[in-house]
Amino acid sequence: MKQRKVWLIRFGELKVFFRRLFVVLLFLTAFLTILLSRVDSLIVSAVDKVIIDVTGPVMQVLEFPARTMHQAYTYFYDISHIYAENKQLRSENKQMMILQNKVRTLEVENQLLARLLNYVPPQEVSYMSARIIAESGDNFAHLLLVYIGDEAVRKGQVVLSNESVIGRVDTVGEHFAKIILITDINSRIPVLIERTRARGILSGNNTAIPEMIFTRSNADIQVGDVVVTSGVGGLFPSGLPIGFISAVNEDGSMKVEPMADISRLEYVRIVDYGLAGENEFSEDFTESNDAK
Amino acid sequence: MPNKKHEQLLAFACERIPLLISLLLIFLFFMPLNSVQFNYFRPSVGIICVYYWRLNRQLIFGYFSAFIIGLMLDVYGSTPLGLNALLLLLLVAITTMPSQYLRTSSFSVRWLIFGFICMAIMLLKWLLLMLYFWHFLSLTEIMLGYFSTVMFYPLIATLNVWIAQKFLPPENIDEL
Repeated sequence: MKQRKVWLIRFGELKVFFRRLFVVLLFLTAFLTILLSRVDSLIVSAVDKVIIDVTGPVMQVLEFPARTMHQAYTYFYDISHIYAENKQLRSENKQMMILQNKVRTLEVENQLLARLLNYVPPQEVSYMSARIIAESGDNFAHLLLVYIGDEAVRKGQVVLSNESVIGRVDTVGEHFAKIILITDINSRIPVLIERTRARGILSGNNTAIPEMIFTRSNADIQVGDVVVTSGVGGLFPSGLPIGFISAVNEDGSMKVEPMADISRLEYVRIVDYGLAGENEFSEDFTESNDAK
Repeated sequence: MPNKKHEQLLAFACERIPLLISLLLIFLFFMPLNSVQFNYFRPSVGIICVYYWRLNRQLIFGYFSAFIIGLMLDVYGSTPLGLNALLLLLLVAITTMPSQYLRTSSFSVRWLIFGFICMAIMLLKWLLLMLYFWHFLSLTEIMLGYFSTVMFYPLIATLNVWIAQKFLPPENIDEL
Protein backbone atom coordinates (compact mmCIF):
# COMPACT_ATOMS: atom_id res chain seq x y z
CA MET A 1 0.00 0.00 0.00
CA LYS A 2 2.81 2.34 0.99
CA GLN A 3 4.81 1.39 -2.10
CA ARG A 4 1.80 2.11 -4.30
CA LYS A 5 1.52 5.57 -2.74
CA VAL A 6 5.20 6.23 -3.45
CA TRP A 7 4.70 5.15 -7.07
CA LEU A 8 1.72 7.46 -7.41
CA ILE A 9 3.75 10.39 -6.06
CA ARG A 10 6.59 9.57 -8.43
CA PHE A 11 4.14 9.31 -11.35
CA GLY A 12 2.73 12.73 -10.42
CA GLU A 13 6.22 14.24 -10.29
CA LEU A 14 7.05 12.67 -13.65
CA LYS A 15 3.89 14.13 -15.13
CA VAL A 16 4.81 17.62 -13.92
CA PHE A 17 8.34 17.16 -15.26
CA PHE A 18 7.13 16.15 -18.73
CA ARG A 19 4.65 19.01 -18.77
CA ARG A 20 7.45 21.48 -18.04
CA LEU A 21 9.68 19.81 -20.62
CA PHE A 22 6.90 20.18 -23.19
CA VAL A 23 6.65 23.92 -22.48
CA VAL A 24 10.42 24.31 -22.82
CA LEU A 25 10.28 22.38 -26.10
CA LEU A 26 7.53 24.67 -27.40
CA PHE A 27 9.66 27.73 -26.61
CA LEU A 28 12.66 26.12 -28.29
CA THR A 29 10.61 25.15 -31.36
CA ALA A 30 9.32 28.71 -31.73
CA PHE A 31 12.82 30.13 -31.41
CA LEU A 32 14.35 27.63 -33.85
CA THR A 33 11.55 28.25 -36.36
CA ILE A 34 12.40 31.96 -36.35
CA LEU A 35 16.02 31.11 -37.10
CA LEU A 36 14.96 28.67 -39.83
CA SER A 37 12.69 31.22 -41.49
CA ARG A 38 15.67 33.59 -41.60
CA VAL A 39 17.44 31.18 -43.97
CA ASP A 40 14.24 30.56 -45.97
CA SER A 41 14.11 26.89 -45.09
CA LEU A 42 12.06 24.37 -47.06
CA ILE A 43 10.47 23.18 -43.82
CA VAL A 44 9.20 26.65 -43.05
CA SER A 45 7.64 27.13 -46.50
CA ALA A 46 6.10 23.65 -46.28
CA VAL A 47 4.49 24.57 -42.94
CA ASP A 48 3.31 27.82 -44.52
CA LYS A 49 1.71 25.96 -47.43
CA VAL A 50 -0.01 23.41 -45.22
CA ILE A 51 -1.53 26.07 -42.96
CA ILE A 52 -2.72 28.13 -45.93
CA ASP A 53 -4.34 25.10 -47.57
CA VAL A 54 -6.00 23.91 -44.37
CA THR A 55 -7.33 27.30 -43.26
CA GLY A 56 -7.98 28.81 -46.71
CA PRO A 57 -11.44 27.23 -47.13
CA VAL A 58 -12.49 28.58 -43.70
CA MET A 59 -11.39 32.06 -44.74
CA GLN A 60 -13.31 31.67 -47.99
CA VAL A 61 -16.53 30.80 -46.17
CA LEU A 62 -16.10 33.69 -43.72
CA GLU A 63 -15.22 36.13 -46.48
CA PHE A 64 -18.46 35.52 -48.43
CA PRO A 65 -20.88 37.45 -46.16
CA ALA A 66 -18.29 40.21 -45.69
CA ARG A 67 -17.89 40.53 -49.46
CA THR A 68 -21.66 40.57 -50.02
CA MET A 69 -22.06 43.34 -47.47
CA HIS A 70 -19.24 45.33 -49.03
CA GLN A 71 -20.72 44.91 -52.50
CA ALA A 72 -24.11 46.14 -51.25
CA TYR A 73 -22.45 49.18 -49.67
CA THR A 74 -20.46 49.90 -52.85
CA TYR A 75 -23.65 49.61 -54.92
CA PHE A 76 -25.49 52.28 -52.93
CA TYR A 77 -22.37 54.44 -52.68
CA ASP A 78 -21.95 54.33 -56.47
CA ILE A 79 -25.60 55.24 -57.04
CA SER A 80 -25.27 58.31 -54.82
CA HIS A 81 -22.20 59.47 -56.74
CA ILE A 82 -23.32 58.52 -60.23
CA TYR A 83 -24.00 62.08 -61.46
CA ALA A 84 -20.58 63.47 -60.52
CA GLU A 85 -18.83 60.37 -61.84
CA ASN A 86 -20.69 60.60 -65.15
CA LYS A 87 -19.62 64.22 -65.58
CA GLN A 88 -15.99 63.31 -64.86
CA LEU A 89 -16.09 60.34 -67.24
CA ARG A 90 -17.44 62.54 -70.07
CA SER A 91 -14.54 64.95 -69.70
CA GLU A 92 -12.06 62.06 -69.47
CA ASN A 93 -13.62 60.48 -72.55
CA LYS A 94 -12.94 63.60 -74.61
CA GLN A 95 -9.26 63.49 -73.64
CA MET A 96 -9.11 59.74 -74.33
CA MET A 97 -10.43 60.22 -77.87
CA ILE A 98 -7.61 62.66 -78.61
CA LEU A 99 -5.08 60.25 -77.07
CA GLN A 100 -6.51 57.30 -78.99
CA ASN A 101 -5.80 59.00 -82.31
CA LYS A 102 -2.25 59.73 -81.18
CA VAL A 103 -1.76 56.12 -80.03
CA ARG A 104 -2.95 54.76 -83.38
CA THR A 105 -0.45 56.91 -85.25
CA LEU A 106 2.36 55.91 -82.87
CA GLU A 107 1.45 52.23 -83.15
CA VAL A 108 1.79 52.28 -86.94
CA GLU A 109 5.04 54.20 -86.66
CA ASN A 110 6.31 51.74 -84.05
CA GLN A 111 5.52 48.73 -86.26
CA LEU A 112 7.35 50.27 -89.19
CA LEU A 113 10.42 51.08 -87.12
CA ALA A 114 10.42 47.64 -85.48
CA ARG A 115 10.37 46.03 -88.93
CA LEU A 116 13.28 48.21 -90.02
CA LEU A 117 15.33 47.18 -86.96
CA ASN A 118 14.37 43.46 -87.08
CA TYR A 119 13.11 43.91 -83.51
CA VAL A 120 11.92 40.73 -81.77
CA PRO A 121 8.74 41.49 -79.80
CA PRO A 122 8.62 40.27 -76.17
CA GLN A 123 6.87 37.04 -75.31
CA GLU A 124 3.11 37.36 -74.80
CA VAL A 125 2.08 37.27 -71.19
CA SER A 126 -0.53 35.07 -69.60
CA TYR A 127 -2.46 36.10 -66.54
CA MET A 128 -5.20 35.03 -64.21
CA SER A 129 -7.51 36.93 -61.90
CA ALA A 130 -7.64 35.94 -58.26
CA ARG A 131 -10.08 36.98 -55.56
CA ILE A 132 -8.72 38.37 -52.31
CA ILE A 133 -10.06 36.43 -49.35
CA ALA A 134 -7.92 37.79 -46.54
CA GLU A 135 -5.42 40.49 -45.78
CA SER A 136 -2.77 40.77 -43.08
CA GLY A 137 -4.36 41.22 -39.72
CA ASP A 138 -1.93 43.48 -37.93
CA ASN A 139 0.31 46.49 -38.36
CA PHE A 140 3.49 44.49 -38.79
CA ALA A 141 2.90 43.09 -42.26
CA HIS A 142 1.22 43.82 -45.55
CA LEU A 143 0.04 40.77 -47.43
CA LEU A 144 -2.98 39.28 -49.15
CA LEU A 145 -4.34 35.75 -49.33
CA VAL A 146 -5.98 34.99 -52.68
CA TYR A 147 -7.97 32.08 -54.09
CA ILE A 148 -6.26 30.72 -57.22
CA GLY A 149 -8.33 27.56 -57.75
CA ASP A 150 -6.50 25.03 -59.91
CA GLU A 151 -4.47 27.59 -61.87
CA ALA A 152 -0.71 27.08 -62.08
CA VAL A 153 0.89 29.90 -60.13
CA ARG A 154 4.59 30.13 -59.30
CA LYS A 155 6.44 31.80 -56.46
CA GLY A 156 7.77 35.17 -57.58
CA GLN A 157 5.14 35.94 -60.23
CA VAL A 158 4.11 39.58 -60.59
CA VAL A 159 0.81 40.72 -59.10
CA LEU A 160 -0.96 43.68 -60.68
CA SER A 161 -4.04 45.74 -59.95
CA ASN A 162 -5.81 47.45 -62.85
CA GLU A 163 -3.24 50.21 -62.84
CA SER A 164 0.09 49.00 -61.54
CA VAL A 165 2.32 46.51 -59.73
CA ILE A 166 1.11 45.77 -56.22
CA GLY A 167 3.32 42.85 -55.20
CA ARG A 168 4.57 39.36 -55.90
CA VAL A 169 3.51 35.81 -55.14
CA ASP A 170 5.22 34.55 -51.99
CA THR A 171 3.75 31.16 -51.10
CA VAL A 172 1.65 28.91 -53.31
CA GLY A 173 -0.61 26.28 -51.82
CA GLU A 174 -3.02 23.87 -53.55
CA HIS A 175 -5.77 26.43 -54.11
CA PHE A 176 -4.54 29.52 -52.30
CA ALA A 177 -1.57 31.84 -52.63
CA LYS A 178 0.01 34.41 -50.38
CA ILE A 179 0.97 37.75 -51.93
CA ILE A 180 3.58 40.05 -50.47
CA LEU A 181 2.61 43.65 -51.19
CA ILE A 182 5.10 46.33 -52.28
CA THR A 183 4.48 48.02 -48.92
CA ASP A 184 5.61 44.97 -46.90
CA ILE A 185 9.02 45.05 -45.27
CA ASN A 186 9.98 41.85 -47.12
CA SER A 187 9.49 43.53 -50.50
CA ARG A 188 12.49 44.82 -52.53
CA ILE A 189 11.93 45.70 -56.20
CA PRO A 190 14.53 47.14 -58.60
CA VAL A 191 12.96 50.29 -60.04
CA LEU A 192 13.80 53.39 -62.05
CA ILE A 193 12.45 56.88 -62.54
CA GLU A 194 10.64 56.93 -65.88
CA ARG A 195 11.69 60.50 -66.75
CA THR A 196 15.42 60.36 -65.91
CA ARG A 197 16.07 56.56 -65.83
CA ALA A 198 17.67 56.96 -62.38
CA ARG A 199 17.79 53.54 -60.75
CA GLY A 200 17.07 52.41 -57.22
CA ILE A 201 15.32 49.82 -55.09
CA LEU A 202 11.74 50.16 -53.92
CA SER A 203 11.77 49.00 -50.34
CA GLY A 204 8.63 48.28 -48.32
CA ASN A 205 8.56 49.54 -44.74
CA ASN A 206 5.16 48.32 -43.49
CA THR A 207 3.56 51.71 -44.01
CA ALA A 208 1.27 52.69 -46.89
CA ILE A 209 4.15 54.63 -48.50
CA PRO A 210 7.24 52.55 -49.43
CA GLU A 211 10.69 54.11 -49.95
CA MET A 212 13.02 54.26 -52.92
CA ILE A 213 16.57 53.62 -51.73
CA PHE A 214 20.06 53.09 -53.22
CA THR A 215 19.71 55.94 -55.71
CA ARG A 216 22.69 58.06 -56.77
CA SER A 217 23.06 61.20 -54.68
CA ASN A 218 23.17 63.40 -57.80
CA ALA A 219 20.16 61.72 -59.47
CA ASP A 220 17.59 64.14 -60.87
CA ILE A 221 14.43 63.11 -59.06
CA GLN A 222 11.43 65.32 -58.41
CA VAL A 223 8.13 64.97 -56.61
CA GLY A 224 5.56 63.61 -59.06
CA ASP A 225 8.03 61.52 -61.11
CA VAL A 226 6.66 58.15 -62.17
CA VAL A 227 8.42 55.07 -60.75
CA VAL A 228 8.50 51.95 -62.92
CA THR A 229 10.15 48.54 -62.63
CA SER A 230 13.69 48.45 -64.05
CA GLY A 231 13.76 44.79 -64.97
CA VAL A 232 17.09 44.28 -63.16
CA GLY A 233 17.28 40.81 -61.61
CA GLY A 234 14.78 39.30 -64.00
CA LEU A 235 11.87 38.89 -61.63
CA PHE A 236 9.83 41.83 -62.90
CA PRO A 237 9.85 42.96 -66.55
CA SER A 238 10.92 46.55 -67.13
CA GLY A 239 8.51 49.44 -67.50
CA LEU A 240 5.66 48.32 -65.25
CA PRO A 241 4.27 51.34 -63.40
CA ILE A 242 4.41 51.25 -59.60
CA GLY A 243 3.82 54.72 -58.21
CA PHE A 244 4.77 58.38 -57.97
CA ILE A 245 7.51 60.09 -55.97
CA SER A 246 5.61 61.81 -53.17
CA ALA A 247 8.53 63.22 -51.17
CA VAL A 248 12.32 63.51 -51.44
CA ASN A 249 14.09 63.28 -48.08
CA GLU A 250 17.32 65.00 -47.12
CA ASP A 251 19.13 61.66 -46.65
CA GLY A 252 18.51 60.83 -50.32
CA SER A 253 15.68 58.36 -49.81
CA MET A 254 12.34 59.01 -51.46
CA LYS A 255 8.77 58.22 -50.58
CA VAL A 256 6.83 56.47 -53.31
CA GLU A 257 3.06 56.63 -53.32
CA PRO A 258 1.66 53.49 -54.99
CA MET A 259 -0.56 54.12 -58.03
CA ALA A 260 -3.04 51.46 -56.99
CA ASP A 261 -5.27 51.94 -53.99
CA ILE A 262 -4.23 48.64 -52.44
CA SER A 263 -6.79 48.84 -49.65
CA ARG A 264 -9.71 48.89 -52.09
CA LEU A 265 -8.74 45.85 -54.12
CA GLU A 266 -11.11 42.92 -54.44
CA TYR A 267 -9.40 41.10 -57.28
CA VAL A 268 -5.80 41.02 -58.44
CA ARG A 269 -4.09 39.84 -61.63
CA ILE A 270 -1.27 37.33 -61.32
CA VAL A 271 0.86 37.65 -64.43
CA ASP A 272 3.29 35.15 -65.89
CA TYR A 273 5.89 37.04 -67.92
CA GLY A 274 7.86 33.85 -68.44
CA LEU A 275 10.76 35.31 -66.51
CA ALA A 276 13.25 33.68 -64.11
CA GLY A 277 11.98 32.58 -60.75
CA GLU A 278 12.47 34.34 -57.46
CA ASN A 279 15.50 32.31 -56.38
CA GLU A 280 17.46 33.35 -59.43
CA PHE A 281 16.48 36.95 -58.76
CA SER A 282 17.63 36.87 -55.17
CA GLU A 283 20.98 35.33 -56.16
CA ASP A 284 21.52 38.02 -58.80
CA PHE A 285 20.56 40.71 -56.35
CA THR A 286 22.91 39.40 -53.67
CA GLU A 287 25.78 39.15 -56.16
CA SER A 288 25.27 42.70 -57.41
CA ASN A 289 25.17 43.95 -53.84
CA ASP A 290 28.32 42.04 -52.99
CA ALA A 291 30.04 43.53 -56.01
CA LYS A 292 29.24 47.02 -54.71
CA MET B 1 -20.72 2.51 -21.43
CA PRO B 2 -21.62 4.38 -24.65
CA ASN B 3 -22.82 7.21 -22.42
CA LYS B 4 -19.40 7.46 -20.81
CA LYS B 5 -17.72 7.57 -24.20
CA HIS B 6 -20.18 10.20 -25.33
CA GLU B 7 -19.42 12.27 -22.23
CA GLN B 8 -15.68 11.91 -22.79
CA LEU B 9 -16.07 13.02 -26.40
CA LEU B 10 -18.16 15.97 -25.32
CA ALA B 11 -15.58 16.96 -22.70
CA PHE B 12 -12.82 16.69 -25.31
CA ALA B 13 -14.77 18.93 -27.70
CA CYS B 14 -15.49 21.43 -24.92
CA GLU B 15 -11.80 21.66 -24.10
CA ARG B 16 -11.06 22.68 -27.69
CA ILE B 17 -13.65 25.46 -27.72
CA PRO B 18 -11.36 28.29 -26.52
CA LEU B 19 -8.76 27.45 -29.17
CA LEU B 20 -11.35 27.13 -31.94
CA ILE B 21 -13.15 30.32 -30.98
CA SER B 22 -9.85 32.21 -30.84
CA LEU B 23 -8.91 30.96 -34.32
CA LEU B 24 -12.34 31.87 -35.67
CA LEU B 25 -12.08 35.39 -34.24
CA ILE B 26 -8.60 35.78 -35.70
CA PHE B 27 -9.87 34.73 -39.13
CA LEU B 28 -12.76 37.20 -38.83
CA PHE B 29 -10.34 40.01 -38.15
CA PHE B 30 -8.27 39.06 -41.21
CA MET B 31 -11.24 39.90 -43.47
CA PRO B 32 -10.42 42.42 -46.20
CA LEU B 33 -11.64 45.79 -44.88
CA ASN B 34 -11.16 47.76 -48.10
CA SER B 35 -9.83 50.76 -46.22
CA VAL B 36 -6.34 51.91 -45.30
CA GLN B 37 -7.59 53.76 -42.21
CA PHE B 38 -9.32 50.68 -40.80
CA ASN B 39 -6.25 48.55 -41.49
CA TYR B 40 -4.23 50.60 -39.01
CA PHE B 41 -6.91 50.07 -36.37
CA ARG B 42 -7.00 46.31 -36.73
CA PRO B 43 -6.77 44.88 -33.21
CA SER B 44 -4.45 42.00 -32.33
CA VAL B 45 -7.21 39.57 -31.47
CA GLY B 46 -4.69 36.80 -30.78
CA ILE B 47 -3.29 38.70 -27.78
CA ILE B 48 -6.79 39.41 -26.39
CA CYS B 49 -7.91 35.79 -26.73
CA VAL B 50 -4.77 34.26 -25.25
CA TYR B 51 -4.87 36.68 -22.29
CA TYR B 52 -8.57 36.13 -21.65
CA TRP B 53 -8.61 32.33 -21.90
CA ARG B 54 -5.37 31.84 -20.00
CA LEU B 55 -6.66 34.03 -17.22
CA ASN B 56 -10.05 32.39 -16.93
CA ARG B 57 -9.61 28.84 -18.20
CA GLN B 58 -6.08 27.82 -17.35
CA LEU B 59 -6.91 24.12 -17.32
CA ILE B 60 -8.10 23.98 -20.91
CA PHE B 61 -6.07 26.76 -22.47
CA GLY B 62 -2.36 26.12 -22.22
CA TYR B 63 0.90 26.75 -23.98
CA PHE B 64 0.09 24.50 -26.92
CA SER B 65 -3.07 26.45 -27.81
CA ALA B 66 -1.10 29.70 -27.70
CA PHE B 67 1.58 28.13 -29.91
CA ILE B 68 -0.99 27.11 -32.54
CA ILE B 69 -2.59 30.58 -32.51
CA GLY B 70 0.86 32.13 -32.85
CA LEU B 71 1.74 29.96 -35.87
CA MET B 72 -1.54 30.93 -37.51
CA LEU B 73 -0.80 34.62 -36.93
CA ASP B 74 2.69 34.18 -38.37
CA VAL B 75 1.40 32.59 -41.56
CA TYR B 76 -1.35 35.15 -42.12
CA GLY B 77 0.65 38.08 -40.82
CA SER B 78 3.77 37.32 -42.86
CA THR B 79 5.93 37.76 -39.78
CA PRO B 80 8.84 35.30 -39.43
CA LEU B 81 7.36 31.89 -38.67
CA GLY B 82 7.61 31.29 -34.93
CA LEU B 83 7.73 34.93 -33.84
CA ASN B 84 4.09 35.30 -32.83
CA ALA B 85 4.20 31.78 -31.42
CA LEU B 86 7.13 32.76 -29.19
CA LEU B 87 5.45 36.00 -28.10
CA LEU B 88 2.16 34.28 -27.28
CA LEU B 89 4.02 31.62 -25.30
CA LEU B 90 5.60 34.47 -23.35
CA LEU B 91 2.15 36.01 -22.89
CA VAL B 92 0.89 32.74 -21.43
CA ALA B 93 3.85 32.64 -19.04
CA ILE B 94 3.32 36.28 -18.01
CA THR B 95 -0.43 35.85 -17.55
CA THR B 96 0.01 32.72 -15.44
CA MET B 97 1.98 34.60 -12.79
CA PRO B 98 -0.63 37.12 -11.58
CA SER B 99 -3.63 34.99 -12.56
CA GLN B 100 -4.55 34.10 -8.95
CA TYR B 101 -4.73 37.79 -8.06
CA LEU B 102 -6.39 38.80 -11.31
CA ARG B 103 -9.09 36.14 -11.11
CA THR B 104 -10.55 37.81 -8.06
CA SER B 105 -10.03 41.40 -9.18
CA SER B 106 -12.50 43.64 -10.98
CA PHE B 107 -12.87 43.93 -14.74
CA SER B 108 -11.23 47.37 -14.87
CA VAL B 109 -8.11 46.03 -13.10
CA ARG B 110 -7.89 43.15 -15.57
CA TRP B 111 -8.33 45.57 -18.44
CA LEU B 112 -5.61 47.83 -17.06
CA ILE B 113 -3.20 44.92 -16.61
CA PHE B 114 -4.06 43.81 -20.14
CA GLY B 115 -3.10 47.27 -21.36
CA PHE B 116 0.35 46.96 -19.78
CA ILE B 117 0.96 43.39 -20.91
CA CYS B 118 -0.25 44.13 -24.44
CA MET B 119 2.07 47.14 -24.62
CA ALA B 120 5.03 44.99 -23.52
CA ILE B 121 4.23 42.26 -26.05
CA MET B 122 3.74 44.69 -28.94
CA LEU B 123 6.94 46.58 -28.15
CA LEU B 124 8.84 43.31 -27.92
CA LYS B 125 7.42 42.26 -31.27
CA TRP B 126 8.43 45.61 -32.75
CA LEU B 127 11.97 45.23 -31.40
CA LEU B 128 12.34 41.63 -32.55
CA LEU B 129 11.08 42.49 -36.02
CA MET B 130 13.52 45.39 -36.29
CA LEU B 131 16.32 43.05 -35.27
CA TYR B 132 15.16 40.38 -37.71
CA PHE B 133 14.88 42.72 -40.70
CA TRP B 134 17.61 45.11 -39.47
CA HIS B 135 15.38 47.98 -40.50
CA PHE B 136 13.67 50.72 -38.48
CA LEU B 137 9.90 50.28 -38.28
CA SER B 138 7.57 53.18 -37.59
CA LEU B 139 5.99 53.17 -34.13
CA THR B 140 2.90 55.16 -35.13
CA GLU B 141 1.04 52.30 -36.80
CA ILE B 142 1.97 49.97 -33.97
CA MET B 143 0.59 52.41 -31.41
CA LEU B 144 -2.66 52.70 -33.38
CA GLY B 145 -2.88 48.91 -33.40
CA TYR B 146 -2.16 48.85 -29.67
CA PHE B 147 -4.93 51.33 -28.82
CA SER B 148 -7.46 49.49 -30.96
CA THR B 149 -6.45 46.18 -29.31
CA VAL B 150 -7.00 47.67 -25.84
CA MET B 151 -10.30 49.23 -26.95
CA PHE B 152 -11.52 45.95 -28.43
CA TYR B 153 -10.73 43.99 -25.25
CA PRO B 154 -14.14 44.50 -23.54
CA LEU B 155 -16.04 43.45 -26.67
CA ILE B 156 -14.04 40.27 -27.26
CA ALA B 157 -13.93 39.46 -23.55
CA THR B 158 -17.74 39.79 -23.36
CA LEU B 159 -18.10 37.46 -26.33
CA ASN B 160 -15.74 34.98 -24.71
CA VAL B 161 -17.66 35.18 -21.43
CA TRP B 162 -20.86 34.37 -23.28
CA ILE B 163 -19.22 31.42 -25.01
CA ALA B 164 -17.71 30.17 -21.76
CA GLN B 165 -21.03 30.38 -19.91
CA LYS B 166 -22.94 28.77 -22.75
CA PHE B 167 -20.63 25.91 -23.71
CA LEU B 168 -18.08 25.31 -20.97
CA PRO B 169 -18.49 23.84 -17.49
CA PRO B 170 -18.19 26.54 -14.78
CA GLU B 171 -14.71 27.32 -13.50
CA ASN B 172 -15.03 30.95 -12.39
CA ILE B 173 -17.97 32.99 -11.19
CA ASP B 174 -16.84 36.40 -12.31
CA GLU B 175 -15.21 35.87 -15.68
CA LEU B 176 -15.23 39.29 -17.26
